Parts: sequence; structure tokens; C-alpha cells
Amino acid sequence: MYHYLLTFSKAGDLRFISHLDLLRTFIRSARRAGIPAAYSKGYNPQPKFIFAAPLAVGIEGENEYLDLYLREAWETDVIKESLNRQFPDGLKVHKVSYVDLNRPPLSAMVSAALYKVLLTNVTPSIEKTLLDILNAETILLERKGKKNKKTLNIRPYIFLLSLQKREDGKGELFMLLATGNKGGVRPHEIMSILLMGDNAGSINTKIIRKDLFILENNRLKTPEGLSPLEYLEMRYYDGTKNYYQL
Amino acid sequence: MTNVYLSDLLERVRKPARYLGKEINAIYKSVEEIKVHLVLAFPDLYEVGMSHLGLKILYALANKMPEVYAERVFAPGADMEKILRQENLPLFSLESNTPLHSFDLVGFSLQYELSYTAVLNMLELGGIPLYSADRNEADPLVLGGGPAVFNPEPLAPFFDFFVLGDGEEVLPEIIREYAFWKDKGRKREDFLEKITRIPGIYVPGLYEPVYSQGNFSGLKALKEGVPLRIEKRTVVDLEHAFYPDSFIVPYMEVVHDRAALELFRGCSRGCRFCQAGFTYRPVRERSLNKLKELAGAIIDKTGFEELSLSSLSSSDYPQIEKLIDELQAQFHQREVSLSLPSLRADSFALKLADKVQHNRTGGVTFAPEAGSQRLRNVINKQVSEEDILKAAARAIETGRSHIKLYFMIGLPTETEEDLWGIVELARKISRLRKVAKGRRRPFKIIISASTFIPKPHTPFQWEPLLDLERIKERQELLRQGLRKVKGVDFTWHEAKMSFLEAVFARGDRRLSTVLERAFKMGSRLDAWSDSFDFSFWEEAFRREGIDPGYYAYYHPHTSAPLPWDHISTGVSKQFLISERKKALEEKITGDCRESGCSGCGLNNCPVQKGEAGCTTIF
Repeated sequence: MYHYLLTFSKAGDLRFISHLDLLRTFIRSARRAGIPAAYSKGYNPQPKFIFAAPLAVGIEGENEYLDLYLREAWETDVIKESLNRQFPDGLKVHKVSYVDLNRPPLSAMVSAALYKVLLTNVTPSIEKTLLDILNAETILLERKGKKNKKTLNIRPYIFLLSLQKREDGKGELFMLLATGNKGGVRPHEIMSILLMGDNAGSINTKIIRKDLFILENNRLKTPEGLSPLEYLEMRYYDGTKNYYQL
Repeated sequence: MTNVYLSDLLERVRKPARYLGKEINAIYKSVEEIKVHLVLAFPDLYEVGMSHLGLKILYALANKMPEVYAERVFAPGADMEKILRQENLPLFSLESNTPLHSFDLVGFSLQYELSYTAVLNMLELGGIPLYSADRNEADPLVLGGGPAVFNPEPLAPFFDFFVLGDGEEVLPEIIREYAFWKDKGRKREDFLEKITRIPGIYVPGLYEPVYSQGNFSGLKALKEGVPLRIEKRTVVDLEHAFYPDSFIVPYMEVVHDRAALELFRGCSRGCRFCQAGFTYRPVRERSLNKLKELAGAIIDKTGFEELSLSSLSSSDYPQIEKLIDELQAQFHQREVSLSLPSLRADSFALKLADKVQHNRTGGVTFAPEAGSQRLRNVINKQVSEEDILKAAARAIETGRSHIKLYFMIGLPTETEEDLWGIVELARKISRLRKVAKGRRRPFKIIISASTFIPKPHTPFQWEPLLDLERIKERQELLRQGLRKVKGVDFTWHEAKMSFLEAVFARGDRRLSTVLERAFKMGSRLDAWSDSFDFSFWEEAFRREGIDPGYYAYYHPHTSAPLPWDHISTGVSKQFLISERKKALEEKITGDCRESGCSGCGLNNCPVQKGEAGCTTIF
């Protein structure tokens, strides 16, 4: 068996397909391309395509990851090109790299995700709500399970909130939120707090997941090795005021 | 509609993939470069419509014509409909997001009676006048095809024309005629009159039903020269007929989320309740080589993980074992599994099912339909109790999780004794269960009882539906009886849905006003139990002054004119009468491919010519 890590993006109208839809699209595209997927064992063998973190319907993903296991060794470029030829518009593999077979899939290590939301009108009230969230010690949120409702404190899951204001009154909000098997908070849950009261209407609901972060030696890093602040400074920060907390 | 606006809509609905389009193998063309713009409309949700083979065949076939752009549209979910109505937006096609009213042709697939209000809803949302008589040259032509058009009368005033039988040959003929007519800029009436000359086309507006003393007494042609009897179209040579390989690959999970390989069309078993068994005659097969070639191309172009070997009775394909073996060899290493729907209830069928399922932990489903040999003879379902018990024993031994058995309540001549037969059969299977050793988990027996509905063009078309109250009594009898049998789960059909289905199956044109009223009152997608509301229908019938019981319990003499007499499946009425007589005498009629021609009256039938047997007819 051979292990690869794929970096891909899901953009445009394809944001409307679900996590399971995306998995089916990958599996079927791979079969069309003749890529020899390795299968899990057991009663109901499934191809070993493991996404780092599921992406909710409606959210675009810029740097998404998939651990791919094959029965035969294929050149990374060939995998990339074969898949891209079969993919629908909106889905694109950017990079394929070899991974040690013993390394666990990223899904076991993902701890945080960075989201970007466009604000159409940055009001003082929005800024205040953001600061209130960061200054709060606990933020209680009710979550509906299959059977019961449960209330939990989501504050520990909010690692960073950062606002980039632009001259035209618009702004970009970055949110670094916990995700993965140790618990987390969904971007829509933060949006529901931000959208309350006077703030309704100042947010474009389009959310983009910029990247995922894994925890290594107590530090969050993208699979490429960038820390969240390096990530934002390199790509977005231009010296205007922003709020954040790590 | 611009793409920006579509995205805004999709942000606000559940399961936006229903309206997205853009799937692999969806076809996009430029509206400016085509001549005939057709939308194939399915009056149910995307996940149901995209499970339907006919739609996919016609979609690929029409789009093969360079001058034609065939798109798709499905019934919107309740949330999408609400937004469209509130914001005054028209229902639009999946591919180019064109409002329905801007198409040249809107072709509905009519699969079941309970989808009729969804048809009206889609017309209204699409900005098309409901009634054919209210449409003019600026409106599309609205056509319908599919199994329900074998009695299209309740829908007649809403449609410009219907297409009877297989669509593969007739659709291109319609399109060519339309393109010619469009060039000349003629009137709608001219086109509709002209196409009555194409065999298989029924233009209901050119006829008027006559009633006497409240009963249908005949259909009067309003124009000279229109056919008084419309014969269904049949693709005789299925081997060389068009069959797609580039099936659309849906993003979301649809009801039948797999590629379909149609082994043959039609069925010669002759079960007397089964409308498809009569309307799809004769049996036409594809050769083994053709099927293997198609199967390979389909998987290459779609990447589906499952291929369904589909037909009305797949274990009847003469070389079915060989086909399965060779396909499995062909798909070795590609992780493609095969599935077999519609299996006969016997151990040969179960052997096939074992062959295609690597893990035999799932269940098996069979349809004995009736609980006693006597009643199975009446309906000509040739399966014996021994067959079923053998199949059940094998299912238990091979470690399957359950057996599901379909039955019908209210079959002609049915008595309580026949129903006790179902309970007795369940008990015998339950005993087999105890004998089986080494099973780690319990074996479930699922008994599912639907209601027998008399359908046009079958030997039971003259029989009444069992009284609604008695249906409920018999469901209760089974429920009580089966409660005492260990390991049995019992499910049954909502009797009121069956009642409505029966009313519209054998209905006439007078029912069209009831459909319109029920739709206006809010009836939608009635086949979905969560949106079915019988009170709309009771009120609609009451306000129109029509007794639905008249249609459900109608029990005419075989010599009485029937509202669908002008529609011909090729099977003679005389044959249906003789089959009815044999049914009441509890006599069976053999499968004509095994025991020779039974004289159903069909022309161009290979059996009649002595060409068919147990080997392939090619």
C-alpha cells in the first residue's frame, strides 16, 4: 500500500455539495481515472480516502487535505493530473506528496481551522461583539443532538478572531476555531452570535475555510509548517487594527 | 437567472445539490446555437427523478441531436417552492437556469398517479398556463410520457399531447416535426393536428368524452382524420436501440445511487395485477456481448461503484449466470459490484443474489404477492410455497440479516383464509430460523403489505378496489396475526394513498377539476407520507361534487366502454377478458416464452413467430 497526501480546493458552486457528496465524487473520479485505490478490510470494504476534516455544505475550502492510499505506486504528478482531468469545475488538486505509510492520516491530528468571512459593513457594534467574545470567559451555546439538547461552553474553542478593516467600510473576519476529535466550534455558530441584534445584515454569508492546522509540540501549524500568525501576516495583515488572541 | 442569483437561492435551501446541476456528464450547450429547447420534467424530487432510467435515456438521446438542448427540472422541495413563490421567481431548469415558460417543449415523465399535483405545481411555478386550452404560441408545448399515460384521461386537459410507449424512436420524430413547424411559424393547432399522424401520439384536445347516466360512454373525435385508437410505440430491436453510457453522476445520494444496465424490456410472466407486465410487451433482450460492452463503457465514463442489472424480472434473463460471471471477471480489480433488483422468489434467484453480493450479510427481498397457492393462481404469480421456504432457508444459512416479503391486500377473490396464509408462511420461516445453527445475530422476517390497485390494461381492470374500511380491517388482521410470530416486522401501506391511486388510475377527464382544486388547496408530492394530506382531497372532491368512491369501487361489465379504450398496448381486450375468466377459475397461464404463445394479440412478437425460447432471441 502507498500513502499520499493531496492538497485540494473546493470552490464556487461546489460549496453546495456535502462532505459525503465530495467523498463520492473523489471515489468515482478516481475510478474513472483508473487510480487503483486501496480498500479497507472487513464486511464492507471502502476505498481508503480520508479527508482531514469534513467541510460543511455552503463553505468553500481553499486548502483542504485528503490522505489517499493506493494499491500501486503512482507518480504524484500523474495522480494530480488524472484526478484534475476527471473532476468537475470547482474541484482541483493542487499538490500531491508521498507520505510515510506509518504516519497517521491528517484527520487524526487536525486541531484547528482558519475561516474567512466577508463583512459588508463593519459597524462599531460588530467590533464590540467581537471584543465581547474575546473578553468573555465562557460563552454558552445550545447544541441539538439526535436525541437531546446540550449546552456547552464554546469559548475555549475560539483561538483567534481577527478583523481586517478596509477603507470602503467592508472588512474581512478571520476566525481560528478548534476542530477535530477533541471538540470544536462550527463557523456558523460564531456567525449566529455575530448576526444577533443590530449586526444582522452586515455579513455576507459566504464563508471560506483557508486552511487546517495540526498541533505539533504544542504549536499549531499548517501541514506546510506555517503558524497561524505567520499565515495571516504573510498573506493578509497590512498593519491596520485587528483583534486576536491565541 | 444569473449565477449570482442562483447561489443566493442555494444558500437558503436544504439539500442545495438538488438544484445545482453541473454533475459529471451533465450536458451544457449554448441556447443561441440550438433550435429546439426541451426540458425533461420529473414531478418528484431530484433524488427520485435521478433514479429513473427512462429520463436518463431520453436526456442523452435528445442531446445527441446537435440542434436540440435537453435539460432537466425536478419538483422543488417545500422550502424552495416557498422562496420561489414569495419572491415571484419562476421554476427554472438545472442546466441553463431557464424558466420553464421559455422552453419550446416541456416533457413530463408520468410514473405514478400520486405525482399529478406535482405536475400542476411545476407548470404553475414555471409560468405556464395549467390548461392546454389557455396556452398560445408564446407558451411551450406540454407533453407527457411514461407508464401513467396508459390512462392519461384525468390529466388530459393539462397536456397538449401524450406519447405512448417507448420514447427512443418517437421523441426524435416529435423534435423534427417541431423544428419544421417552428421554422414556418405556424399555429399550435396545426402542429398538434399534424402530429396525430405520428404513431403513438395522443392529442387529448382533439377528442371529447361522452357520458351517459353518469358513466363514461365513449370518446368523440372533434376533427376528422384523427385516429380513434392510438397504438403504443415499441422499440422492436433493443439490441441496436440507443442506450447511454455517460450517465449523469449525481453529487447527492439519490434513491438508486448506481448505474443501470437494462438487460431486457418487458416481461412474459403474465402476473395479472401487473400493469407493466402488459404495457411493456413483448420481451426484448440485449445480447450478452452488447451488455458487456455497455457495462464497461458505463463504468469507464461514470466511475459508479455499483451496476444494477435491471429489468422487470432479472433472473429471467436467459444467460444471467454467465452474464454475472463475465461482468465480475471484467470488473475484477475495479471494485465494482453488481446488484439484481426484481428477483423471483425462488432459490435460483437467491443463488444469483449470493453470487453478486460479496458479503451476504444484507437482506433479500422477494414478492410472493399472495399468501395462498389458490390466490397466487388467481393472480398468476407462479411461485410456490416450497420455492419461498427454500429461499428463506438458504438466506438463513448463508448468514443474511433478513428476508423481506411483499404481499398485497385486497386482491380479487381474497378471503381471510388467504391472509392467514401469509401469517402461516411467516410462521414456517420463523421455525426455520430456530433450526439454523451458528448464527450470531437474529434473522428478521419483514412482511410488507401494499394494497392491490386495479390498473388499466390488466385483466383486473374491471375489478373494484377493496373497500377502504375493509382494507384497514385486513391490515389489522395481519398485524394481530403476525404479532404472535417471532422475528416478524410488519409494515403496510397508507390505505388512503392507495385509495387515491385507485381513483386516478381508472379515472376519466371529470377528475381533472379535482386535481386542480386539490393542488390549489396545497396538495403536493402525495407519494411522500410526510407531505400527504388526505383532507385536501376529501375537500376537493366534495367541492367538485364528485364521489371518489365511484372510481375506486367501479365494477363495470367487461362490455362497458372504458375511459382508456382508445389507448392500445397491443394486447387485445379479448385476451384480458379471457385472463380475467381464468383468474376467477383459479387457472394459471404459463410464461409464453416457456410454454408457447398465449395469444395476447400482440403483433411483431417473437414468441408468436416461434423465434423465442429459453435462449436469447438474437
